Amino acid sequence: MSRTISIEPVTRIEGHARITLQLADTGEVEDARFHLTQFRGFEKFCEGRPYREMPALTARTCGICPVSHLLASNKACDDLLAVKIPPTAEKLRRIMNLAQMVQSHALSFFHLSSPDLLLGWDSDPAKRNIFGVMEADPDLARKGIRLRQIGQTAIEILGGKKIHPTWVVPGGVSEALSAEKRDAILKMIPEGLEIAKETFALYKSMVPKFKDEISHFGTKPTMFFSLVTPKGNLEHYDGLIRIKDAQGRIVEDMVPPSDYQRIVGEAVEDFTYMKFPYYKPMGYPKGIYRVGPLARLNNADTCGTPFADVALAEFRTLQDDGGPVTSAFHYHYARLVEIIYSLEMMQRLLKDPDILDPRVRARARGNRDEGIGVSEAPRGTLMHHYKIDDDGLITWVDLVIATGHNNLAMNQGIREVADAYVDGNHLREGMLNRVEAVIRCYDPCLSCASHAFGQMPMVIELRDASGYIVDRLSRD
Amino acid sequence: MRALIIGYGSPIRGDDAIGPLAADRLAAMDLPPDITVQARHILTAELVDDLRQVERVIFLDAAADSAPGEVRCRPLAPDPSAPSTMAHFHDPRELLAWCDTLYGHHPQAWLVTAGGADFGYANYRLSPLAEQALTRMLQQVLELLEFEQGHSSSLGEAAVAGVQEGPRY
Repeated sequence: MSRTISIEPVTRIEGHARITLQLADTGEVEDARFHLTQFRGFEKFCEGRPYREMPALTARTCGICPVSHLLASNKACDDLLAVKIPPTAEKLRRIMNLAQMVQSHALSFFHLSSPDLLLGWDSDPAKRNIFGVMEADPDLARKGIRLRQIGQTAIEILGGKKIHPTWVVPGGVSEALSAEKRDAILKMIPEGLEIAKETFALYKSMVPKFKDEISHFGTKPTMFFSLVTPKGNLEHYDGLIRIKDAQGRIVEDMVPPSDYQRIVGEAVEDFTYMKFPYYKPMGYPKGIYRVGPLARLNNADTCGTPFADVALAEFRTLQDDGGPVTSAFHYHYARLVEIIYSLEMMQRLLKDPDILDPRVRARARGNRDEGIGVSEAPRGTLMHHYKIDDDGLITWVDLVIATGHNNLAMNQGIREVADAYVDGNHLREGMLNRVEAVIRCYDPCLSCASHAFGQMPMVIELRDASGYIVDRLSRD
Repeated sequence: MRALIIGYGSPIRGDDAIGPLAADRLAAMDLPPDITVQARHILTAELVDDLRQVERVIFLDAAADSAPGEVRCRPLAPDPSAPSTMAHFHDPRELLAWCDTLYGHHPQAWLVTAGGADFGYANYRLSPLAEQALTRMLQQVLELLEFEQGHSSSLGEAAVAGVQEGPRY
């Protein structure tokens, strides 16, 4: 008789999710699914609001990624205004985005994934947590806290407010950078870089230990999707879309973000509230691709900063055939490279002689009825697309979220890991932890990723205190 | 004695904003330089670095399990098993435990809560009951500071004046 294993909640990720593994009579895995069980609905309830409210509204999508939504939303509003923002404003927005990369990647690596990496997937689950890491390597844990603090502090210095800063506005930023604030951020960067480089060196020395996991954690072929600069280099704020296939061949290049609907389709399934974006010319689900640090490094020709380029060269050696690095396990590696890059680039931008220029905002009224803003969030490419009426009220919203792009790959990944490790006849906790761990490689942010597209199927279950289902409503 | 006050909660969920609002009002007062105040949406990991640098911390939060408007004050001890609903933010007791484990010490800690009446959508706007509780909450914080910090009564007088006037939002 077939059985279902449910892993709920999936731990050490942002948001609420469940994994189900369907087992055959033989105990082998027949199917594996990643369910996003929370529902938000921002795309619908933003309708009717003035477009200038969108950055503040969508920043509330998530308490973890408000900066990413602020940037993509304001870029969509810039498009509605039909303005090119002042160069210094663009640099300041870039610095805030890079600081977000530092704090977010630090949290993912040091706090969410390090228990697996440092203590092992089969270690005692009661100790396989951040306290276990603190006991095993307190210095590493302290560095993680400090690195995250540096990123967060930089965001707070720029934003001028700890909770939901409104500094980034349509047309640029609301206030120029002072020399005092610039110096305060610059002062922290050398320490951050030192921590990042030390951690990178430590992690490199650990990678050979993970040979088995690397060969089973999401290695099946996918394409890679990200922004790149017009020269093909690493980009996090602006740029053009590049897609490479699993062999490293360029599938799409220099696609303006405004054309995203030509290449990105969105599908829905009845078992989750997360959409399934796919590469439209190849159809669903064949058009599977991945976004985020792994995709960005695979797609970029260079990083463009000294130490990150050295680290990128080492990253490329992870794949024996010289092609794109395919194992989802190496998202961890890519995050560390991006932390180094982000700090180096922040330093460069802050030392730019124009960074204190007081001209930081272009002012205009709505000059278009449709606006698209695309940037790179820590987890991957983030797209905000709005339509407005003659009064500037929102009539339609599409949010294509970084975590959502990876939905097909995450489902494929848990199936691959389950096939490799889960034996339904001899279940061990470490097997299931590996299934969760492949999800952690993607560092999903589920609060951001829960969105409707059209009318989604919905099931509501009413359970009593013992978990017994007493009533069930469904809508197809 | 260096002290840190952290008011936390969602500014857009009605009375849950009482923590950050209380922190903002305290920050607007003429507090001694050894007292720092932070308003936060959630308690995140990097706060541990701030905790290690003080001898006393006072957390300010809304409570859903108290009577609306009721102000409570209790000491907190480190607890590594304190529940975090998500991996990205933390219970104050968990942060204290992080501090203890990583740095070998933790500040003396208090949690001052006010029961909320309405947690619906609102932007930095409290229900009348919570607004009244906010004043009592601030007075509670000032009593804790004055009692332990040994500051002169002028702190209390100046601060209570600040409580009564309060900045406008």
